Amino acid sequence: MSSAVARVAVPARGSLLERVNAVVRRIIGAPDYSAYLTHQTAHHPECKVLTEAEFLDEQLTARYSTPGSRCC
Amino acid sequence: MRILKALLWACVALLGGGAFAFLALQRGEHVSAGWLLTAALCTYAIAYRFYSKIISAKIFALDPARATPAERLADGRDFVPTNKWVVFGQHFAAIAGPGPLVGPTLAAQFGFLPGFIWIVVGVALGGAVQDCVILCASTRRDGKSLGQMAKEEIGPIAGFTALVATFGIMIILIAVLALIVVNALRSSPWGTVTLGLTIPIAMVMGLWMRYVRPGRVLETTAIGIAMLALSLFAGRWVADSPTLAPLFTLTAIQLAVAIVIYGFTASVLPVWLLLAPRGYLSAFVKIGVVVALAGGIFILLPPLQMPPTTRFIDGTGPLFAGKVFPFVFITIACGAISGFHALISSGTTPKLIENEADARFIGYGAMLSESLVATLALIAACILTPGTYFAINAPAGLIGTTVDSAAKVINEWGFVLSPTELTTLAMKVHETSLLSRTGGAPSLAVGMANIFAKVLGGDGSMALWYHFAIMFEALFILTTLDAGTRVGRFMLQDLGKHIWAPFGRVSWYPAVLMSSALVVGSWGYFLYQGVTDPLGGVNLLWPIFGISNQLLAAIALCVGTTVIIKMGKAKYSFITLIPLTWLSIVALTGGWEKIFSSDIKIGFLSHATSLANIVAGGGLPVGAKTAADAARMIFNDRLDSAVVAVFMISVVVILVDSARVWIGVISGNVPYVSSEVPFTARAVSAKV
Repeated sequence: MSSAVARVAVPARGSLLERVNAVVRRIIGAPDYSAYLTHQTAHHPECKVLTEAEFLDEQLTARYSTPGSRCC
Repeated sequence: MRILKALLWACVALLGGGAFAFLALQRGEHVSAGWLLTAALCTYAIAYRFYSKIISAKIFALDPARATPAERLADGRDFVPTNKWVVFGQHFAAIAGPGPLVGPTLAAQFGFLPGFIWIVVGVALGGAVQDCVILCASTRRDGKSLGQMAKEEIGPIAGFTALVATFGIMIILIAVLALIVVNALRSSPWGTVTLGLTIPIAMVMGLWMRYVRPGRVLETTAIGIAMLALSLFAGRWVADSPTLAPLFTLTAIQLAVAIVIYGFTASVLPVWLLLAPRGYLSAFVKIGVVVALAGGIFILLPPLQMPPTTRFIDGTGPLFAGKVFPFVFITIACGAISGFHALISSGTTPKLIENEADARFIGYGAMLSESLVATLALIAACILTPGTYFAINAPAGLIGTTVDSAAKVINEWGFVLSPTELTTLAMKVHETSLLSRTGGAPSLAVGMANIFAKVLGGDGSMALWYHFAIMFEALFILTTLDAGTRVGRFMLQDLGKHIWAPFGRVSWYPAVLMSSALVVGSWGYFLYQGVTDPLGGVNLLWPIFGISNQLLAAIALCVGTTVIIKMGKAKYSFITLIPLTWLSIVALTGGWEKIFSSDIKIGFLSHATSLANIVAGGGLPVGAKTAADAARMIFNDRLDSAVVAVFMISVVVILVDSARVWIGVISGNVPYVSSEVPFTARAVSAKV
């Protein structure tokens, strides 16, 4: 496993703004396209990569179809 | 060093114990909220330090060197190793909904002490334990859901019961939350316009993120929050306009119909258009307001006007009937223990944990934070004078519809309230009346507005703060409502496909519309029942919701106990058996009383009989205009008792099924088989 696996949700590099952005997005439950891109290029370079819109659709549909993402 | 630490913890224990003793023994004077906060925070610290360690060290032996699902199954989508503070934030944002705000507000009718003790003790021994055990168990099982674990650890019957219970609790939860919104917005043009505007705001955000600036979530949310602030002023402008105000002054029935239409539309529209942007907006506002409320209360440490206990512990309370046992434990679910959390702890969160040792901080710690939110809500309700609190929260059926009649009844109850006091308060918050706004949201909003206005803006800003608080509560109630309706739709389609296959096709429009209509129709029916109830409906629906939530917690604790026993750690199973025993007693006693109590204010069946007797005598019960109305009311009572009975039977089924497995494993008839994913070492060097 390469280090690309670890902590993609909080990029170790990047400007402060980018890192704050990634953290806040994760907390409010927004899909993280760049984490997905990092993972795909590191581990499945042969696969076709979803576009951002396709990825968002896939993630949001899944999030709002199973119980377990939001509570009373 | 060790001695120093022991000394420090002894001090914390003494301080917390002292604060509790003070609260229990003081008489007469108004106590400061600081005592509650001290008692709560000391208990949380000790529970986290010592009690949660049993789960992390003795039972699961959480190992920082063990690879978590987030690492082993990393897919950049759901399984993403994430910093523990971020997971904590995500988990907290997901578990903290309107529940911990509403329950404590309603339970304040018993005085602040019963609710407070349950919130603090319940979370330490129950709620946080449940969340943490399920999170650990799910993390060790590739992030499996509660339903899957119930099926695999206990058996198919338990699995099916968990599924049905989840669906049932969702329907009741949505109905009661919708009712709270209706009661908060009834004849309030300001509130109605502000909340109504959040719908187009969310849609503009959705379109913006899709077509104009794809993926720019934060930037869009910032714009959304600015528009929310504007909508607050737009609401005031409409309320002040003599031509527009009557258009948006809606009755309870009109609002209920509007919410039903909204719920249906939201569940069939694409998620990116409405649900997702509203979810982001709500998460932001939620965290912001919780932090602000905590800050305000910590700065002001306001004195509590509510006595430690009121005369209503005898079961004659106006908000909901029933004695302090078992009803305080049913009324406050979220904040003390909430079965719903088990769904989150076995949903998104276990797939993000990068180091399994973090599960203690996230599972146990986030629930302690939610308990603190519940304590803050209780404080906000108890800083109102009891007279004001009961005037806002008691149904019109008891206190009448004028300030004079309300003041008269409330003074008879032994609380001081002058008619002018209430009229002045209503004027301050820019409402025509605050009488009988049942459901907890308005009284919490008055409490919050009091606190916020004292810190920022002064008396003149009360109206803005009040409507801000109403918007905030309604915003995240609607977020739970629309997401819940959609999830309910998918669950129903999943169940229904066993009966008729095409029903399960999630992208086939007739099936989508049919299942959505069924889900919306189900909660809509209970909502309508609540709206037309002469006693305001909350007293009817909230206890059913509490019982169903405690049932789900019982299922989760059964799963947890089974996991612990199968790990060969039966001697530590007390950790889940204590809350399980208590919840079973509470849910079954509460359920039994709701169905069979001879007091017509509590028991559904005796109430139905009393209605039938009135009809048989040629009269019509209060709230019924025709014989058909009366017949419907009788039917509703029987329906409600059937719903409660189903929940109670589910508790018994799951207990018996689990006990069968436990006895089998302990007696050696069933081999110990751990379903944990075997140990794999972390590739990334573990930080300790």
